[in-house]
Amino acid sequence: MSATSSPAAVSIAIKDIVQEYPAPSGGVTRVVDGISLNFERPGINMLLGPSGCGKSTILHMLGGVRPMGTKTPTSGSILIDGVECHGAHDDSVMVFQRYANRPDLTVFENVAFPFRLKLWREKIAEKEWRQRVAEMLKAVGLADKQQLRPAQLSGGQNQRVALARALVLRPRILLMDEPFGALDAQTREEMQRLLIDLYKAAPCLVVFVTHDVTEALMLGDRVIVLSTQPARIADDFTIDAPRPRSTEWQRSAEAIRFEERILSQLHKSSAGKGAVRVTI
Amino acid sequence: MSEFWNPYLPLAPGRRRALGIGAVVAVLLLWSLLAGSGLVSPVRLPAPWDVLSAFSYLAWHEGESMLFIATLWSVGRLAVAGVLVILIGIPIGITMGAAPKLNAVLSPLIDPFRSAPVVALLPILVMWLGIGEEMKVAFLFIGAVVYLIPMVRDAIQAVPQSYWIGARDLGATPWECITKAVVPMAMPRIADAVIVAFSVMWTYITVAEYVNARVGLGQLIQNARRFSAWDQVFAGIIVIIALALVTYQGMNWAKRRLYPWETQQ
Ligand SMILES: Nc1ncnc2c1ncn2[C@@H]1O[C@H](COP(=O)(O)OP(=O)(O)O)[C@@H](O)[C@H]1O
Ligand SMILES: [Mg+2]
Repeated sequence: MSATSSPAAVSIAIKDIVQEYPAPSGGVTRVVDGISLNFERPGINMLLGPSGCGKSTILHMLGGVRPMGTKTPTSGSILIDGVECHGAHDDSVMVFQRYANRPDLTVFENVAFPFRLKLWREKIAEKEWRQRVAEMLKAVGLADKQQLRPAQLSGGQNQRVALARALVLRPRILLMDEPFGALDAQTREEMQRLLIDLYKAAPCLVVFVTHDVTEALMLGDRVIVLSTQPARIADDFTIDAPRPRSTEWQRSAEAIRFEERILSQLHKSSAGKGAVRVTI
Repeated sequence: MSEFWNPYLPLAPGRRRALGIGAVVAVLLLWSLLAGSGLVSPVRLPAPWDVLSAFSYLAWHEGESMLFIATLWSVGRLAVAGVLVILIGIPIGITMGAAPKLNAVLSPLIDPFRSAPVVALLPILVMWLGIGEEMKVAFLFIGAVVYLIPMVRDAIQAVPQSYWIGARDLGATPWECITKAVVPMAMPRIADAVIVAFSVMWTYITVAEYVNARVGLGQLIQNARRFSAWDQVFAGIIVIIALALVTYQGMNWAKRRLYPWETQQ
């Protein structure tokens, strides 16, 4: 992967978004309650909150994909480069926890899947995308596995495929929904290192959703802490420590201060309403 | 015996085959015993060896193979109906699965026929289409397509939503999501629907050939019945069962070759 493509600047403005879902008992449940946020430059932005607080809901809004028939957002707006976003757009690509790798396609075909679609076929010539896919497979360390199928790969390798499929499009916005949440601790750390390397090679605007405090501290330029039921912004701060951050840094006074700050914020805003994880 | 009740215990292929062949041989033995001992009169139950000689008579008699010609005709009718079932039924099933509104419109028109007495439609088809080949193919087609369409629809709806969302997020149009993400994932189950459709058609072939067939396996059985040649009736039924089994096994084999990933994930 080359660093030639200059970071295409992009801004996201979230204005007072509210999300309500029909409640099982009738009426509505407000899941997201008037969140406003701005992302202005490339960086890794962590959206941290307890399970079920509405992180995925917000991320889906940013990606413009609606999983259900519900109107998203209920009110408020999302602007990308000042243009209001309705529905799917090609500035962002998502990576999910449950990698949507296709079991019927090989690793190569999975990463090259976007180029089966008219949108990307028209934008990028076959010669170029083939080269991009090859480079991307090398960058995520799967060059020797490209003819295998997802069932023949480990969970971490599958998530590498998903990451490669997203990054091969060189998106200006990368949306990640607990991408490493289902992995074991060691694999999760490997994947975090990989993400940092890939990000350094081609910085973009990353919005990374997690309920893992440690992950937020190890990866984030900025950490946005969400309260739960309904989701509001409980805290929003930046971390300047250079990446990759060592285990020594993790045990430093600075990191511990951040961690305590997050936990006390969550405690204040949503005591007893869902859990965050701290990995040691 | 401790491992008898264990649905996950893999059985060696040789052992499985031995047990299966053993069962068939046991039935043949019981049959021979019943017929040979005179316990059941040959009018009610022809002996296996009589069925065998009837089979050889049908297979080759006076320089002609009635059985072969009948099989060709039946297979031909089934093949034509099968092609129509695939070409018409699969697209309908896919669009129903992919568009809930279309499903809401079409499913009350199609689903009830799964439990409808399709055989009772035969006189109506005769009235509409006459007693020629069109009627026979149409009967097989209707009998099978009412099973296939709901199965294809269900196959589409069973594809996890994540594949649709994933494709949508990558910029696929809704139509591309269906054709490039959902349908490929539904293919193994669509293949199952085709296999079921062919099995259903084999069960209906005798009915389809009931009216005015000059040649065909169903006609062969019916003719033999008219002359109370029960050994020939048995031989004809066994041939149909064997053909249905070969179709099923062959199509299953092809399906496993085409979609090897299905069992892995
Ligand atoms: N389509 C929906 N209909 C009704 N409730 C939903 C829907 N999607 C999410 N929710 C509810 O909204 C809340 C937030 O969900 P989600 O955004 O997935 O949380 P997170 O990603 O933080 O775990 C949960 O309580 C969930 O049950
Ligand atoms: Mg979530």
